[in-house]
Amino acid sequence: AAEERRKKRRSRWGSEDSKVNIPGLPTAITASMTKEQLDTYLLHMRLEEIGRKLRTGDYIPPERERSVSPEPIYDSQGKRVNTREYRYRKKLEDERHRLIEEAVKRNPDFKPPADYKRPTKVQD
Amino acid sequence: PAGNGEMQPTRVLQLLNMVTPEELVEDEEFEDIYEDVREECSKFGKVYDIKIPRPVQGNTSGVGKIFVRYETIESAGAALRALAGRKFAERTVLTSYIDEEKYVADDF
Repeated sequence: AAEERRKKRRSRWGSEDSKVNIPGLPTAITASMTKEQLDTYLLHMRLEEIGRKLRTGDYIPPERERSVSPEPIYDSQGKRVNTREYRYRKKLEDERHRLIEEAVKRNPDFKPPADYKRPTKVQD
Repeated sequence: PAGNGEMQPTRVLQLLNMVTPEELVEDEEFEDIYEDVREECSKFGKVYDIKIPRPVQGNTSGVGKIFVRYETIESAGAALRALAGRKFAERTVLTSYIDEEKYVADDF
């Protein structure tokens, strides 16, 4: 069964021609850094990446990477609450929230991104 | 622990921003990730061994990072340049080196 699954599965790697290049944020890190400096850089890089995805609405992964949809949940008006868009957006917002808490812990002067709102409970 | 300037290249590649702790919990998903890494990294030279720290027994040290030790520094360098900026599960991959002694001692 494991063999069958392996055949069906696609690699998580993106194609070679879709490389990301953000000016000022190198992805090959060859400058000498301590582990703490590297972790801090990583944190900021990921925050930048999440911010960009949320701003451009690019957060629904391609079909092959999607997880199995959970049972639908409806609100009192019969409107579905846990839509695919909602779920993926929420996942990124939750991750961003954790990363910002971590960044503040490392540096109390850290300023969260302007569009950052603390995650709230279920809404539509 | 060099001062400012460039890092000393080693034969151990460090891959960052590839996985979240949650993705490493289930054995099946972990094995898939391991296989994806092994397969792609083998394109740049002979891979000696791989370490993917998992969140077990409250361990958080190095979780989220992936380490690939090559037979040569040249292979690690080729992988470092080729994989930087690639996507892995829609996340942008960052690459770096790590001291081999630290890698061996699980000091990440």
